[in-house]
Amino acid sequence: MSLRCWLLFFGVIVAASHAPAMRVVSLAPSVTETLFALGAGDEVVGVSTYCDYPPEAAKITGVGSFLTPNIEQIITLKPDVIIGVPTPGNEEPVKTLQSLGFKIVIVPADTVEQTRTSIEMIAHALAREADGRRLIEQFDTRLAAVQQRLRGAPLRRVLMVVGQKPLVAVGSGTFQDELIRMAGGINVAGATRLAWPHLNLETVIAWAPQVIIDTSMGTEENTQVLEFWKQFPSLPAVREQHLYAYRTYELLRPGPRIPEALEMIARAVHPERYEELGH
Amino acid sequence: MHDPVLSLHRVSFCYRSVAALDDISLDLRRGEILGIIGPNGSGKSTALRIMSGVLRPQAGSVLWLGRPLAQVRRADLARQLAVVPQDTAIEFPFSVLEVVLMGRAPHLGGFAFEGDRDIAAAQAALRRTATSHLAHRCIHELSGGERQRVTLARALAQEPQVLLLDEPGAFLDIRHAVEIYDLLRDLQAEGMTIATVLHDLNLAALYCDRVALLKAGRLVRLGAPGEVITYATLTEVYETEVYVDTNDITGAVNVLPLSRPYRERLRR
Amino acid sequence: MPYLTRRRFVRVNALLAAGLLATLCGAALIGPVHVDLMRALQRTGGPSPDFVILFDTRLPRVLLGAVVGGALAVAGAALQGLLRNPLADPHILGISGGAALGGIVAIILAGQQPLAAFSAGPVGSFLGALGATFLIYRLALVHGRLQPYTLLLTGVVVNAFAGALIMFINSLADFYQAHGILFWLMGSLATQSYRLVGTITVYALAAAACLLWQARHMNVLSLGEEAALQLGVEVERTRRIIFFTSSLLVGAVVSVSGMIGFVGLIVPHVLRLTLGADHRLLLPASFLAGGMFLVWADTLARTLLGATEIPVGVVTALCGAPFFIYLLTRAAGKAFD
Repeated sequence: MSLRCWLLFFGVIVAASHAPAMRVVSLAPSVTETLFALGAGDEVVGVSTYCDYPPEAAKITGVGSFLTPNIEQIITLKPDVIIGVPTPGNEEPVKTLQSLGFKIVIVPADTVEQTRTSIEMIAHALAREADGRRLIEQFDTRLAAVQQRLRGAPLRRVLMVVGQKPLVAVGSGTFQDELIRMAGGINVAGATRLAWPHLNLETVIAWAPQVIIDTSMGTEENTQVLEFWKQFPSLPAVREQHLYAYRTYELLRPGPRIPEALEMIARAVHPERYEELGH
Repeated sequence: MHDPVLSLHRVSFCYRSVAALDDISLDLRRGEILGIIGPNGSGKSTALRIMSGVLRPQAGSVLWLGRPLAQVRRADLARQLAVVPQDTAIEFPFSVLEVVLMGRAPHLGGFAFEGDRDIAAAQAALRRTATSHLAHRCIHELSGGERQRVTLARALAQEPQVLLLDEPGAFLDIRHAVEIYDLLRDLQAEGMTIATVLHDLNLAALYCDRVALLKAGRLVRLGAPGEVITYATLTEVYETEVYVDTNDITGAVNVLPLSRPYRERLRR
Repeated sequence: MPYLTRRRFVRVNALLAAGLLATLCGAALIGPVHVDLMRALQRTGGPSPDFVILFDTRLPRVLLGAVVGGALAVAGAALQGLLRNPLADPHILGISGGAALGGIVAIILAGQQPLAAFSAGPVGSFLGALGATFLIYRLALVHGRLQPYTLLLTGVVVNAFAGALIMFINSLADFYQAHGILFWLMGSLATQSYRLVGTITVYALAAAACLLWQARHMNVLSLGEEAALQLGVEVERTRRIIFFTSSLLVGAVVSVSGMIGFVGLIVPHVLRLTLGADHRLLLPASFLAGGMFLVWADTLARTLLGATEIPVGVVTALCGAPFFIYLLTRAAGKAFD
C-alpha cells in the first residue's frame, strides 16, 4: 500500500481508540470521585449537590441531592449516560429516566469488593476500560500495602462512632465495618448485627474498646469531641490514649479513596506499625 | 334602709357593634328583691354582667356602695357579691362538694386548705338548696336542674350580702323553681339583697319587690310589679296579646298566654 | 374523699415520693450490663467499669429522667387546666416544636465550629422555645385576653409550622446532621453530667412551685371565665402566669432531652381519674408520678434490646397510646350505661 494509505489507516485507528467525549451525569459522590479518578472529569456535566471531591466537582451543575435527583435538570443536560448507586429515594426517578430512553447504570456500593466492581462498571460505561483497569490496580496495590504492613498485628477491639447524641456507631454489614476488620480490628458494635446501631453507653463501657474512632463532629485538628470519652477512664482506649477524631467523608464513600480510608483506620488501630517511618 | 347597693347610671354597652344596653339607669336597693324582665335579646343578662363587674360599660357609671365598681378589687367584691349564672359546663370531674367549696375561694389564699368554717358554710349551703344528698357525686352525673341548685349553693357558700341570679329557675320544674324563690325570700329576710333575671312574669310578680322591664337595651319601666306588669305595657313590649288578671289567692298579678284564635279575637 | 384535706395531701404525696425514691434506686441497678454494687464501690486501682457504669452513666440518667418526667407531667397538668381540656399535652402548644427547631438550627450552624456545637444545642433550643412562647402569646391575644380556644389553635398551628421547617431542614441535612436531628425528635435522657441534672432540677422545682401557687385559681378557672372572675380570681393574670411558666419549663426540658411525648398527657389524666381534679393535689402528684413513669420507661428503653437502645420517646408512645385507648373505651362504655 502507498504511504498515504498507511497514514490514513493509522489515523483511523488512532481516532477510533479515543472514545468520543461523552456527557455523563453522576448521582452520587462516590461515582463522581471514580469518574475523576478515571480521568473523565471533563466529561462530567452533572453531579449531586453533595459531590465535593475533587474540588473541581463542586463547580459542576447540581442535579439534586443524593437521595432525590432532579429529573428535569438531568434531562436538560442531555447526558449520554447517568450513573448512580441504589438508594431508596432514587428508584422512581431512575425508572422515569429509563422510560424516557436514557442510559442508566446503577453500581453497587455496599462492600469493598462491590466498590471494585463499580469502578469496572463505570469504566465500561465510559468505554475507558484501560483507565479502569489501571485504577483498580492502584486500588488493590494500596489496599495490599496496608494489609502487608499490618501482617501479624494483634487484633484490637475498635469502636467507630458517627454520632454522640444519640450514640450511633458503625455496625455490621457496612463497608466501614469491613474496613475495620481489614485494618486488624474487631468491631465491637458488630455484635448488634445492625448497620447503624443506637448504642447504650453502659454496653460500650462493658465492651471496653481499645481504640475509639469518633467521626461525629470533630476534624483532625480539633479534639474537643473526645472530651466526651475522657469521662470514662475505665475504657482501655482512654487509658492508653487511643482516641481519634475524624470527620472525613472518605469514610462514608465507597469510592476510589477507600484505600486512604483504610490507611487512616489502620493508623488508628495499629499506630505502632506506622511509627518506624516517622509519619 | 333603701339606700342603693348597686346603681347603674346612664350605662351603655356594645358587643362589637351591636348595642346591648342603651342609656340605662337603675339601682338595686338594700334588702330588696329586684326582678329584671323583658323579651329575648333585651339585654337582661348583659345588665347583670355589668352589675357584677364582669363587663365594663362604654358609657355611664356603675357604683357599688357609692364607689365606682371598677375601682373595687375583684377579691374584695367577691366576698360580698355572688353571682349565679345560668349554666356552667365544667370539664373536670369535680365532686359537688368541691364545686360548692370553690365558693369559699374569695375567703382563702392561693394555696390554703379549707378550714372547718369553710366546710360548715358549704354544708349549710347544700342543705338550704336541698342538695346535701348529692355532695359526694361527680358534677358530671347531675341533671341540669340539680346542677343549677348546686351553682346556687356555691354562691351561697360565698356568704355574700348581695346575690345576682340569671334565670335560677330555667331548668327547674314548677315545684323546684318555687322552692328556689322561697329560698330567696328567706335569704332576703336574713338581710340579703337580691337581683334576678327571669322569664317567668308570674314568678316575678309573686316574689319581686320591684321589677325592671327592659326592651332592646332600654329601660321601659321600673317599679312595683303591679305598676309594671300591666296589659298595656306588656302588649307594647312583647308585641303580642296576653291575658292579665289578679290572682285571688296571692293577690299578685297573673299573666297568661293566649292561643292564636283568642289573640285575634282580643285584637278586634 | 369528696374534697382535699391537708392529711390526704400529705399522705398521697408521701406515698408517691417513697415510690419515686424506690424507683430511682431500683432503676439505677437495672441495665443490660450486670453491675455488682460491691465491686462498684471498691475503688482499688482506679474506678472499675462497674463504678463507671453505675455512677457515671446510669445514675445521672435516672435522675434526669425523674426530673424531666416530673416537669413534663406537671406542665401537662397545668396546661390541661389552662386550656380547660383534659386531653392537652405539653407539646401541643408548639413550644417543643420551637425548641426542637432552635436546637436543630443551632447544631447545623455551629457544625463547622465543633467547640460551639456542644453548648449550641441546648442554648439554641431554649431560645427557640422562648421565641415560640412569645410568638404564640402575641398571636393568641384577643382584645388583650388569652382565650383557651385561640391559644390551643395558635399553638397547634405553630407546632405544625415548626414541624414543617424541621422536615425541610432534615431533607437538606447530610448524614451526620441527620442523626443529630433524631435526638430532638425522639428524645434522649442519656447524660453523664450531674451539674446538668442539678441545674434542671432547681429550675423545674422553681417552676413547679410557681404553678402550685396558682393551683386553687386553676380549680376555680374550670368553672368558666366569668364565674372565676366573679369569685375573685384575676383570670388574665393567672392565665399568663400558667402559660409562661409551663412554656418555659417545657422549653427547658426539651432543650435538655429532646421531645418526649405522652408523659405530660397520660400522667395527669390518669391521676385526675384516681385522685380527683383538685389541682392542689394533682400538680405535686403529677410531678412525682411523672418522674416514676419516665424513669421506668427509660429503663425499658435502655434495657429491652440489650446493646442497643430504643429512643425513650418511642417507649412512652408505645406504652401511652394503647393505655390511652383503654381509658377512652372505658369512659365511653360508662357514658352509655
